[in-house]
Amino acid sequence: MTFDCVVIGAGLAGMTAGVRIAEGGARVAVIAKGVGSLHLGGATIDVLGYAPEPVDSPRAALDDFIAANPDHPYARVGTNAVSGSIEWLRDHLPEIGFVGDLDANLQLPTAVGVAKPSAVVPRSMAAGDLRAGGDFVIVGLEPLKDFYPAYCADNLAVAPLTNGGSLRARAISIAPPVAGEADVSPLGLARRLGDPETRKEIIRTISNRLEPGETVGMPAVLGVDDSPAVWTDLSESLGTGVFEIPTLPPSVPGIRVFRKLLSLLRSAGGRLLVGPEVLGMEAEGGRVTAVKVDTSTRIVEYRAAEFLLASGGVSAGGIKLGSDWRFVESVLGLPVALAPEPGGERFLPDYFGEQPAARAGVAVDDALRAVDSEGNVIYENVRVAGATIAGSEPWREKSGNGIALATGLAAADEILESVKGGD
Amino acid sequence: MQTIETDVLVIGGGATGAGVLRDAAMRGFKSVLVERTDLSMGTTGRFHGLLHSGGRYVVKDPEAAHECIVENVVLRKIAADCIEDTGGFFVTTPWDDPAYADKFHAACVQSGVPVQEVDPAEALRREPRLNPDISRVFEVPDAAIDSWKTVWSCVRSAQEYGAEVFNYHRVVGINRNGDKVVGARAINELSGEDVVFDAAFTINASGAWGAQIALMAGCEGITILPGKGIMIAMNHRLVNTVVNRCQMPTDGDIIVPIRTVSVIGTTDIRVDDPDELFITQDEVDRMLDDGEKLVPGFKQSRALRVWAGVRPLFKDDRASAVADTRDVSRSHALVDHQARDGVSGFLTITGGKFTSFRLMAEDTVSRMCEQLGVDVECRTHEEPLADSESGKFYWLGSRLVAREKNLHDEQAICECELVTKGRLINAIERRDTKDLDDIRRSLRLGMGPCQGGFCIYRATGILHGVQKLDGRAANASLHNFLQERWKGVHPILYGDQLRQARLDDWIFQGLLDVEHAPR
Repeated sequence: MTFDCVVIGAGLAGMTAGVRIAEGGARVAVIAKGVGSLHLGGATIDVLGYAPEPVDSPRAALDDFIAANPDHPYARVGTNAVSGSIEWLRDHLPEIGFVGDLDANLQLPTAVGVAKPSAVVPRSMAAGDLRAGGDFVIVGLEPLKDFYPAYCADNLAVAPLTNGGSLRARAISIAPPVAGEADVSPLGLARRLGDPETRKEIIRTISNRLEPGETVGMPAVLGVDDSPAVWTDLSESLGTGVFEIPTLPPSVPGIRVFRKLLSLLRSAGGRLLVGPEVLGMEAEGGRVTAVKVDTSTRIVEYRAAEFLLASGGVSAGGIKLGSDWRFVESVLGLPVALAPEPGGERFLPDYFGEQPAARAGVAVDDALRAVDSEGNVIYENVRVAGATIAGSEPWREKSGNGIALATGLAAADEILESVKGGD
Repeated sequence: MQTIETDVLVIGGGATGAGVLRDAAMRGFKSVLVERTDLSMGTTGRFHGLLHSGGRYVVKDPEAAHECIVENVVLRKIAADCIEDTGGFFVTTPWDDPAYADKFHAACVQSGVPVQEVDPAEALRREPRLNPDISRVFEVPDAAIDSWKTVWSCVRSAQEYGAEVFNYHRVVGINRNGDKVVGARAINELSGEDVVFDAAFTINASGAWGAQIALMAGCEGITILPGKGIMIAMNHRLVNTVVNRCQMPTDGDIIVPIRTVSVIGTTDIRVDDPDELFITQDEVDRMLDDGEKLVPGFKQSRALRVWAGVRPLFKDDRASAVADTRDVSRSHALVDHQARDGVSGFLTITGGKFTSFRLMAEDTVSRMCEQLGVDVECRTHEEPLADSESGKFYWLGSRLVAREKNLHDEQAICECELVTKGRLINAIERRDTKDLDDIRRSLRLGMGPCQGGFCIYRATGILHGVQKLDGRAANASLHNFLQERWKGVHPILYGDQLRQARLDDWIFQGLLDVEHAPR
């Protein structure tokens, strides 16, 4: 198997890079051990929410943030690349209909009812922007154990508003017809909402209890592939704004993004292999020549001119800590930077405080090539994107998808240039 | 200010206190227990869950060993629902003195601990993950016992006899009338209210905190040396039998399979304050290395949680003066303050081990009866605890069987520990609590591999509804649970459990943004 580029990992970084490389005319294979992090996280593109003080405008804050955090992935790609990556995503996924830009963070309710800053969000979530206040009714679906409307509404009612105005929120709970099951997964419920009859029943129940002027918030289960139609139907039939609130994994909005990206990848001639694990690699003359992939029947060598490591951070298994307290990069064995030494402090007792090991990952240069502690490039043709890169605390900063998107696309550009330059 | 009148006031809500409460109530005394936090929050809730056969002590302390086997038989009879009859192995590993094995066997016979030598090949067939290089194996009637459940069952039995429990009540003073203790003053930690307990007799069962309470009664010179021990719960049942090293008792030589996990213990480090228990990297490393000796590959399992408990090691500065107290000892100490200090209406019971808690209670209440000139027999060894009436031991698959029955009618809120929504609501209402950590101890909610990653948001939403909390109160409960959980996991995060913990961070910080929820 020979490709121009092999991408390892099918999260937002790996998938967007794969699409861009394929669309750029190179032969690309995305290999992933699992289905990718888009199935876990939401589909909001959080670029920078806390630095650590609240950020209103990522565009205004990014340059200072980069200056203050020279080891951060954003410092490798720069503000313009972040901005460009968002335009790329908006253009490529019109069905998702991303809303917002770097100029101002929206404030969207989480399932706990906290206003969380996100730069760019799917159209189906945008009506939940709390900045200007409003009257909200949060609708729970009883068979779904991953969403508690009254708890969410209680917190929303006291959420601080950045743009003044007043906010009222109340909750209702409805029991959509899901005969025979007390316990339905978010994905199962999303599929049922694709059924027009089920939806009609839900719309009728909500309409009966809706007060004039109320915007409707629901758990993020408004359809899977048919979500634009489901959301439009709900909004038009209820005659008001309807928005989705992300719930616990699996993430239905994330799955929608994954499926659209997969379809783009395939249309452009790229391929995705889910399941096989990359066991190791072959290197020669400072370049990786092939990765060895366990296809369960045999070990196959995937040869390529360029490799992109987008295997994720600790939560995805891309970075691991052994019982000898040493951090390792688990796919290619690259050195891990910003990692405490064995015996050093890794995690401190305050859960919400700064954690010494939280920024561990692979250090990269401005071309996103993995580097050692001296800053020397390890392999000329190995680039790194997304949460594998050292230097960020994505969940505290609210920057995970922003980093994935910006570094994934920036790495893809470097790879395309290199592949074309080599022709 | 509230005043509660009672015959007997028990201070301390661990196993000993709960045992004393039940014993006193069963002998017809109006009895009340005060505990500064929740029940089983001290040493009782912080041990490995081993119901001793006595095997551990046969060589070192035959008397303690005999006491253990007697109480082991009693608890199997009265507390069956709290016990899993795992049996226990003592195994000679390559690191153990081979000569100890024969000494051990002879000492078991002498102390009355049933013992049977097992062919190592047979032991490995039953426990395939054991170190294949073990040379001798002895089987004894060790078992796993759920300390939380035992204490709650004791309390429920006591309540049936009219006893009352005041948890989250901190004793701030002991009341005396001349040379007689007449009760205690406490603060309700949840409401801030002062409560006075007027009692004819007061029993100090506060374990490692016993000296502090004795001092409040003006009884000086008692020292309780807190001996810290750490334990680590590993995911899965690495063994289904309690496994001990066949050697003189030392650190890291026991693995107890309990509920869905395996617990390795323990260490013994003298500390100054029973409320300040730090866990060091060195202790964690030693425990994991010791686990590896008994079960090769031990370290590759997920380490779920680490905690430290304190053994109360009793020391009386006036030991030479009074016959009824003992030097540093692991067996229990009943301090007769009438004989020792000339203070009547007051006894201190401390030391001992979980396995002998009922016997400690019996000794204490019998002494009280003696001092009061009352003659009532103890019956705690005859009557089963609440839920143990059938005499059937707890079985690992029991929750799964219960879950199968309501698979299509009930939501599973905690998939790891199979806690349904109905069960959760019932526990919140029964305990009338706003604290998710109380629920954790009652139901094991959030104690499985995901450590609450999925269930705790759900449980908060349900708690908010059942207890009609406002957002802030619910957020505080969620926040507190996450902070408490983190204390027990952050020192041992590595491998797949670190990966799990970072997914949990993703959920709580990245997705829900709990950090910025108002409290």
